Amino acid sequence: MSAYFDDADLAHFGDLKAHHPELWAQWEKYYGSAFQAGLLTKREKILIGFAVSLSEKCPYCIHSYTEQARSLGMGMEHLAEAAHAAASLRAGITMAHALVAHNIEKKSGM
Amino acid sequence: MTALSPASKRVALRSLSARAAPLASAAEQRATLGALPLAQEFDGAIAASHLGVLRASGVEVLQVNVGRLCNQVCRHCHVDAGPDRREVMGREVMEACLDALRRSEIPTVDITGGAPELNPNFRWFVREVRALGRRVIDRCNLTILETPSHGDLPEFFAEHRVEIMCSLPHYLSGPTERQRGDGVFERSIRALQRLNEVGYGDGRSGLALGLVANPVGAFTLGDQALLEAEFREALRARHGVVFDRLYCITNMPISRYLEWLVESGNLEEYMTALAQAFNPAAAAGVMCRTTLSVGWDGALYDCDFNQMLEMPVRVEGRATIFDFDLDSLAGRLIATDRHCFGCTAGAGSSCGGTTA
Repeated sequence: MSAYFDDADLAHFGDLKAHHPELWAQWEKYYGSAFQAGLLTKREKILIGFAVSLSEKCPYCIHSYTEQARSLGMGMEHLAEAAHAAASLRAGITMAHALVAHNIEKKSGM
Repeated sequence: MTALSPASKRVALRSLSARAAPLASAAEQRATLGALPLAQEFDGAIAASHLGVLRASGVEVLQVNVGRLCNQVCRHCHVDAGPDRREVMGREVMEACLDALRRSEIPTVDITGGAPELNPNFRWFVREVRALGRRVIDRCNLTILETPSHGDLPEFFAEHRVEIMCSLPHYLSGPTERQRGDGVFERSIRALQRLNEVGYGDGRSGLALGLVANPVGAFTLGDQALLEAEFREALRARHGVVFDRLYCITNMPISRYLEWLVESGNLEEYMTALAQAFNPAAAAGVMCRTTLSVGWDGALYDCDFNQMLEMPVRVEGRATIFDFDLDSLAGRLIATDRHCFGCTAGAGSSCGGTTA
């Protein structure tokens, strides 16, 4: 193994199925169903997938959702907006967590 | 994982031919594709499918490439068209096309180029084909309608009920101009607005306006219906433009797109992906099974792609429009090579969009 993440890994992601086929099948079914168009369009779900991929820092998912977005006509113009939405939310989440400190200080500070 | 060099992102300003680039040669292009380590050959994939062999099922479309002269030099052009090309179909070849139409019931004539409207006999040819009662499709790059000598083409098209298939890879300027050149997007939108003004794309006049979207890069487009909805909303909201249908066409690894694939380091990955995505259902609907392609000099091919790779139809004797014989052409075996994976990947690709 020369690297922990390799773009060639995506092609054999399914190898993991062999370790527990039943749970894998359940996950695969859930994942497939969750990304079907419903009240949200396929396009919206792909952008959610992309934003979560960035937020969770998964290079495999970023690769996959970038390709899916491009197949639906979206380029960096679109993905940059999604990235900024995800990034600004992460910044907001960091700031919101400061409330814990704020509340402690408020409760027990002088 | 490859990074694009700045040079590979720029739109080429001259054709491969004008630059005397090695890939101007059809043999060199086929050799480049042939050297790739693909897991299967196209004929092998067809043989393993329900089709067994790829054979024409008739001739429903006469696709006439009236020349390689064009006012644009797009990065992905499989024709290697441009202002520097001099191959233009003469009137005698068009006469032979008309004669072939008179001797057959081929219902549709699909006129392509280059910018077909730059052929000096374009309007005459359109009138003659329409006089025979055949449907005419013009594959239009849009910007030609913004040139002074061609500004009246929308009215001409409407008068002769010509169906227009326009190239527009994206509803945004950035990707459109990365593929087609600086300033192309704004002129394309103005041309679409002019076509709309004479009734094209309004859904009532019967004047059909199709948009052709090619991927801007080394990938294929997905759901044609979803993309059509997105284009429809974006073009209407941003520019007041309406159209009838969107057709997704896969970029073929030929001429300048092949050059870009090589330069950007994407060729092997792209061809591997196309070959892996071989879809027998898409193969059953490929356009070569119902199309006859005529080159500027009258030579016959199964499709415009084979034309550029100089792979003529596989029939006995001379294969030119001057020797047109529908019986020998209708059930011919299609000439194939690795580029054909471009038409059979995923949902398939043809001049009429997806095929599966």
